[in-house]
Amino acid sequence: MPKLIQNEWMKLWSKKGTWVMMVLLVAMIAGMFGLTKWIQTMNDYDEPDWKSVVQGELTNVQEQLGNPMLSDSKKERLEGKEKILEYRLANSVEPLDANSREKMIMDSSGIGSIVVLLTVIVAAGIVAAEFSQGTIKMLLSRPVKRWKILTSKYVTVMLFGALLMLVGFVVSVVCAYLFFQAGTGQELVWNGKEVVAASIWGKGLYMLLLSFGNVFMTATFAFMIGSVFRSSSLAIGLSLFIYFMGNTVVMILSQYEIVKYIVFTHMDLTIYESDFRIVEGMTMPFSLAVLAVYLVVFLVISYTTFVKRDVTA
Amino acid sequence: MGKTQRLGWCPYLGREVDMEMKPVVELKGLTKTIGKKKIVDNLNLALYPGQITGFLGPNGAGKTTTIRMMVGLMEPSGGEVIIDGISLADDFEGGLSKVGVIVENPEMYKYMSGYKNLVHFARMHENVSKARIDEVVQQVGMQNRIHEKVSTYSLGMRQRLGLAQALLHRPKFLILDEPTNGLDPAGIREFRTYLRSIAEKEGVSIFVSSHMLSEIELMCDRIAVIQNGQLIDIRDMAEARESHYYIEALPTEAAEEMLKAEGFAVEAYNGGFIINAERARIPGLIQEMTAQKLQLFAVQPHRKTLEDQFLEMTGGGQIAEAHTK
Repeated sequence: MPKLIQNEWMKLWSKKGTWVMMVLLVAMIAGMFGLTKWIQTMNDYDEPDWKSVVQGELTNVQEQLGNPMLSDSKKERLEGKEKILEYRLANSVEPLDANSREKMIMDSSGIGSIVVLLTVIVAAGIVAAEFSQGTIKMLLSRPVKRWKILTSKYVTVMLFGALLMLVGFVVSVVCAYLFFQAGTGQELVWNGKEVVAASIWGKGLYMLLLSFGNVFMTATFAFMIGSVFRSSSLAIGLSLFIYFMGNTVVMILSQYEIVKYIVFTHMDLTIYESDFRIVEGMTMPFSLAVLAVYLVVFLVISYTTFVKRDVTA
Repeated sequence: MGKTQRLGWCPYLGREVDMEMKPVVELKGLTKTIGKKKIVDNLNLALYPGQITGFLGPNGAGKTTTIRMMVGLMEPSGGEVIIDGISLADDFEGGLSKVGVIVENPEMYKYMSGYKNLVHFARMHENVSKARIDEVVQQVGMQNRIHEKVSTYSLGMRQRLGLAQALLHRPKFLILDEPTNGLDPAGIREFRTYLRSIAEKEGVSIFVSSHMLSEIELMCDRIAVIQNGQLIDIRDMAEARESHYYIEALPTEAAEEMLKAEGFAVEAYNGGFIINAERARIPGLIQEMTAQKLQLFAVQPHRKTLEDQFLEMTGGGQIAEAHTK
């Protein structure tokens, strides 16, 4: 199996397109940082005093907590936030500025969406291209079982996705250091018992891991379509359509119970690190379980069609 | 149906083949049904070490389907493919590790060098060393351009590379589908000589499917002919060459009568006849003919070309017939 993965990796990097993708990734992330920096220098206004901002937020949170219709999960979240805000005022701990280096490192959602686009292209083509180039005949008439070949391809796609995430993270850290000043504030979290200081790097990597969930699911979907229909353009098209339309579908269905069981609701795991949820009353383990079920379905479809298929063309 | 059975279970062996020898490849009752149509119907065939077997048939006869079932690209609907005693259904990896394949035009990864392509396929077999790759590159005469991208190769060079990848793991059985497509005459001759030498020296069994009948004729020890999914004939090339004589004599009617009376199968050909006779009977026959005052112009061994034989076996118009069905 390691030799098969080595083969797929070699083929992947022998294509010019793969290198172009890598350059594109670096350029787009650096571009995003440059743009943020530019906007920041254009809007040169006086920051209001942080204490009054935090005070405003606190009043807002407390008002919301007064609402009797509040769901348990949201209430818990707001209480945590209240604790943090109170702690800031009591101990005079300034929050991090939105344009501080630390904030940039912690927010990796931008990397995630670029990596999804690029990984989907590779996932869609890795099986389909063997068919369209005719090399599938050479590949499958070997003393290697087909499920092993498909597994080596799937693993390669995921390794590629992970590598892009990592490269993206490194680039954004470098850009954060180049373009932005260190903030004077401190990131805080409520761990259920007390308010503690958050690790910037820990949070950054955790966000990266969460946004990889989206890469993982979308790429697996593209991999399935690519190996079932042997058409990479169809696979890229469908996957990106789903990626972009997912949230809209969730919005439309948000009133119904069924929304909890469709894959789009759970693809973006970073929602668990933010305050805003379209659908209330879900937990991370529940989301992971739903994703796992979809993953198994996608993979079973890919494997059965690939292993059973008669190669005719 | 009965004919196929007889041929399958009592394979027609070539001269050099020892009767004790075990077949490298056996197809037993191989069948492929797609929808309601039987593409390959109960095919039985045995291939022996050191032998080159040609595989012929009109378009749509089931050649490609048969070959694809032999190399694991298609799943048989019935029957078995046994390679070196291992049934592919039981141990796919064990069976296929003995097989080298070039299915139609060898489609390589064009964006990689020839060498990387070989490394790629070598990794899919066990025990193919770097030294072995270099050796095969030498054998097919590609050492000067092996590190260039495949997209820069001519069709002939791709064929050579295709042969190289098929030989990497020293297969006991080599399957070639249209192998000389794109080679120039010198290349074809070289290729033929090479195949002969690995068949004879290393005892590799070779199975060649081709539409170039003259090519098959020069290369093969025997031919298997498939039509409408059924094996209709297996014959030894050497015997087919020797056992026919061309006779030209006047008056024609008297000559034909006389030959028939002697018990020969007579066939009109170019103003004379072709008879199926053993060499030993020819002198007697000539004496008899002169004694009967027949004007004898020519008696010569006749080699029916493979094309003649092929058209005879498949009934010539079969392609058109198959299309109208």
